[in-house]
Amino acid sequence: MEFVRRIVEHPVLEYEKGKKIRFFFEDREIEAFEGETIAAALEAAGVRWYRETAKYGRKRGIFCAIGKCSSCLVVADNRVVKACQTLVKEGMIVKRLRGKPQIA
Amino acid sequence: MKNYDVVIIGGGVIGCCVAYNLSKMGLKNVLVIEKDYLSSGSTGRCGGGIRQQWGTEANCRLAMESVKIFEQLEEELGEDIEWHQGGYLLLAFTEEEEEQFKKNVALQQRVGVPVRLVTSQEAKEIVPALNVEGVRVASYCPTDGHANPSKVTIAYAKNAKKNGVDFLIGREVVDGIVDDEGGNKVVRGVVLDNGEKIYADKVLNAAGAFSREVGMMFGVEIPTTSYRHQILVTEPLERFFDPLIISFYHHVYFRQEKAGGVVMGYGDPKELPSTKVNSTFDFAKTMAHQILDLMPVLRDVRVVRQWAGSYNMSPDAQPILGTVDGVEGYYQAVGFSGHGFMLAPAVGRAMAEMMLGKDTFVDVSYLSVNRFKGGVDTSEVAVV
Repeated sequence: MEFVRRIVEHPVLEYEKGKKIRFFFEDREIEAFEGETIAAALEAAGVRWYRETAKYGRKRGIFCAIGKCSSCLVVADNRVVKACQTLVKEGMIVKRLRGKPQIA
Repeated sequence: MKNYDVVIIGGGVIGCCVAYNLSKMGLKNVLVIEKDYLSSGSTGRCGGGIRQQWGTEANCRLAMESVKIFEQLEEELGEDIEWHQGGYLLLAFTEEEEEQFKKNVALQQRVGVPVRLVTSQEAKEIVPALNVEGVRVASYCPTDGHANPSKVTIAYAKNAKKNGVDFLIGREVVDGIVDDEGGNKVVRGVVLDNGEKIYADKVLNAAGAFSREVGMMFGVEIPTTSYRHQILVTEPLERFFDPLIISFYHHVYFRQEKAGGVVMGYGDPKELPSTKVNSTFDFAKTMAHQILDLMPVLRDVRVVRQWAGSYNMSPDAQPILGTVDGVEGYYQAVGFSGHGFMLAPAVGRAMAEMMLGKDTFVDVSYLSVNRFKGGVDTSEVAVV
């Protein structure tokens, strides 16, 4: 059985495991629990690659996990957010951030 | 004990640009003294805008010469300076501003600045993300631009070094060496914070925020006062607007730098004189409030850095350049009032010419400190 990396305790976020929900990452359906962050759900689902860097297109995933470093930026429902600080929602559409965010 | 033809106090863009121009004109026995690191003062902390839209003909001419140099500076210095000729868009929100803009644009066009008045609708076409509600008219000059102030300074310094100029970094000038010759003062050099004396025929005060203090070391009274100006930059975004935008009404300017971050400053009218450059949370709050009024799309964008620098203000918000009567060998390029970076290429060349006893390529005589003898003309009001 594969080892599941699910964050259950966090130094800056309070985590209360809610009911099971579903969201989408790059068109893949992923199960999550209400109350956990996008990053917690992605890590548990085995996703390690969240975005590509602007200059060289290098792969980036979770790094500091406390909202400091911006390594885990993703596009969630058309907004650029830190996956480690943003709570996942039922039906949320999450995409990899490729390059610099476009806002207009 | 060392001897130089010229000692320059201050390793900002002015000091480095004068040094480069002196060396280019053949004077290589030059020393630049910087107490911290190159561009560590006002230069490296500034907004980086370069505009030609000014309120007097002489200021427009000087700015136009500066832009001409900026346009070919990367080639001349062989360095990337992040030059982006994206224009300047100034917004008028009040009737007084509208009248002033109309007058200024007429004057600027007469001098040859390719500027035009645009409607709020046209302003929206130039910058679609801009909220133009309340904009009565705007003035737009597409050949204005912006660049990276630190990179410009370092590029000037590198080329000056290549030409033989010396740089002394991390040493502070604490006093001037001045002789009294029959009631006339003659500058002989400077004293460093370690007690060392450096002798020079000519000394240039390019000390930015500390111009007044350095002037006093040579017995020169300079009517300048420094004020903190705070500034911040957002996370990098794909480029979505080109011009530097100013709203005097909001006391705000902002631009998108080459790396993608939006740099923005707010000139707090309540700021008191000081040379402090700390940051306040109050600024971040006010800045966010003002910018969201002008560019609501920045709502979800994060701020990544906040800092502050000094505006060395002169009584008429214009630089003070040249010699001082009764103090031989003393030169100054001070009081730039928040627009020293954009004028540096032209001022640097003119100052070098002046120090070598040549005619200057553009008129800067009107910027002599002597102009304050008959009172202060405050016709140049357009500074933020």
